[in-house]
Amino acid sequence: MSQRSFTSTFRKNRLGLVGFGGVVFFLLLGIFAPLITSYPKGYGTDIMASPSFVHLFGTDGLGLDILSEIIWGARTSIYVSFIAVALAFAIGVPAGLVSGYIRGFPGAIIDTLIDVFLTLPVLPLIIVIAAVVGSSITNVAIVIGLFSWPSLARVTRNATLRVTEMQFIEAARCLGIKQRVILFKHILIVIIGPILVNLTLIMATSVLSEAGLSFLGLGDPSTWSWGTIIKKAWDAGAIIDTPNPYWWWFAPSLSIVFYVVCFNLLGNAINDALNPKGRE
Amino acid sequence: MADYIFRRLMKSLLTVFISITLTFLIIRLMPADPVSLMVDPKLSPEVQAQMRSNFGLDKPIYVQFGIYIANLLKGNLGYSFKTREPVVLVLLQRLPWTILLMLTTLVISLSVGLPVGIIAAKKRNQIFDRVVNVLITLSISIFIPFISFAFLYVFGYRLHLLPTGGAYTPPPSLGFKYVLDIARHSILPTLTLFLGNAATIILYSRNSMIDVLKEDYIRTAFAKGWNDRYVTRQHALKNALIPTVTITGLMIGSMMGGAIMTETIYAWPGVGRLIYDAVSAMDYPVLQGAFLMLSITVVAMNFITDLIVAKLDPRIRLAGGRA
Repeated sequence: MSQRSFTSTFRKNRLGLVGFGGVVFFLLLGIFAPLITSYPKGYGTDIMASPSFVHLFGTDGLGLDILSEIIWGARTSIYVSFIAVALAFAIGVPAGLVSGYIRGFPGAIIDTLIDVFLTLPVLPLIIVIAAVVGSSITNVAIVIGLFSWPSLARVTRNATLRVTEMQFIEAARCLGIKQRVILFKHILIVIIGPILVNLTLIMATSVLSEAGLSFLGLGDPSTWSWGTIIKKAWDAGAIIDTPNPYWWWFAPSLSIVFYVVCFNLLGNAINDALNPKGRE
Repeated sequence: MADYIFRRLMKSLLTVFISITLTFLIIRLMPADPVSLMVDPKLSPEVQAQMRSNFGLDKPIYVQFGIYIANLLKGNLGYSFKTREPVVLVLLQRLPWTILLMLTTLVISLSVGLPVGIIAAKKRNQIFDRVVNVLITLSISIFIPFISFAFLYVFGYRLHLLPTGGAYTPPPSLGFKYVLDIARHSILPTLTLFLGNAATIILYSRNSMIDVLKEDYIRTAFAKGWNDRYVTRQHALKNALIPTVTITGLMIGSMMGGAIMTETIYAWPGVGRLIYDAVSAMDYPVLQGAFLMLSITVVAMNFITDLIVAKLDPRIRLAGGRA
């Protein structure tokens, strides 16, 4: 019954459907990039051509098709998002569960750590680490993931604190079920909603971080990502110099915004569908 | 209240300690050779050997940590690979520019964000509120270089209205003209950071105002016959402010990320631009120092917001302070 009401509430949320559609679109684009277009490399004949039927989003300073670069960039974004989310999940969820369930010393320590990492300026930290470990897209994704867990841990902890008080957990404890099973089965299944919402946010912010790193010159120079395209446009002076190929930075920037907006809308919609009362 | 302030101070110190430990560990635990990250490979072998023993790189790791902390306490963060200057001096020249940018952005974000959030809460689900909600979703999704480029394109390239980079027109003029010049140069960077950050403040002030307006004491105030304006100002506002100020403190850390990109694009001579230049020059001592400096700034600003919360919240101000 709860399943049905979730999907039916979700379906009524038009913005949420838009977000869901966008997410599916980017996923397909990323997965099937090699089938849609060839990998942009080398030189093209039309340098800095403005958008036309041949090159929908124009070409860059090397004459490469910007649309193809964006399609391959979607693949990178998805890759980075998934690695970051997987790592954040692997660290944040256990940390939040343990700190919410076990009172006293270990819980308090984890809680303080979450606080500290929420306060720290994370992007500068990621920049320092990325500069030291060197730029491969996997390194960048791992570093982003390693520092995406605190918000997830906070959400998990707060939800766990609420659930731990409930009677079915007390019952499970009385039945002698192992603590590990209570945490990762009985509690996790109940609080998966807020965790999912936070995961969609991490999908979004990890791409913002990756684009930021690439823009600062810490991305992978051998992989197309939206941040890399923007970086190249900026290095070439495409923003305020004449001639002014505005299409070079505009389309990839817009892709980033679309990607992030879609994931945020999806997150909002999941949240609304889980707490129908919050919307009254 | 003293208890509360003491706890917050301890947490601030712990945060600084953790960022110090992180910078220490980053260079030691990475596959790269720590010597090459701390000692400029371009120096002569004798000087390199000298620096290696200064940093204690030949000793066990806990001794190195002791040396590292002792050096930090003396204000020694090493030397920049690029300019050979002490990192601390380089950073202290840049820090005021970053703080100027951050504080202006914070003041503007709060003075616009709070009223907008509160009005949206009062007019919940009306057109104003809906428009605000859409803008919030867009604003938290924004990519800083994108707005910066759009601003540069429109105001710099098309309209020639505002300067496209730097913090002043060299050579710096004197007195009031200088201030005015800086103000003109800071419009676009501030506006960029404002757009990226005001959304959080609007979101939180709106949501906490909505929560406060549901409280019993608000209904009581209305029942006593106070008008809407009085209840909002005297009863609701202060309590709605508390979570907003807290989140503003937490926001400062993520603002720094945006500041790096903003400063880079507008060639603003702060720590963020320094980080960008250090990345391209592989200037590791500057990078580590910059991160430390930014964390300390963030922690200090956070502590100030904690004090403001303590002042706003009578539960902390009057009682023993278990918040």
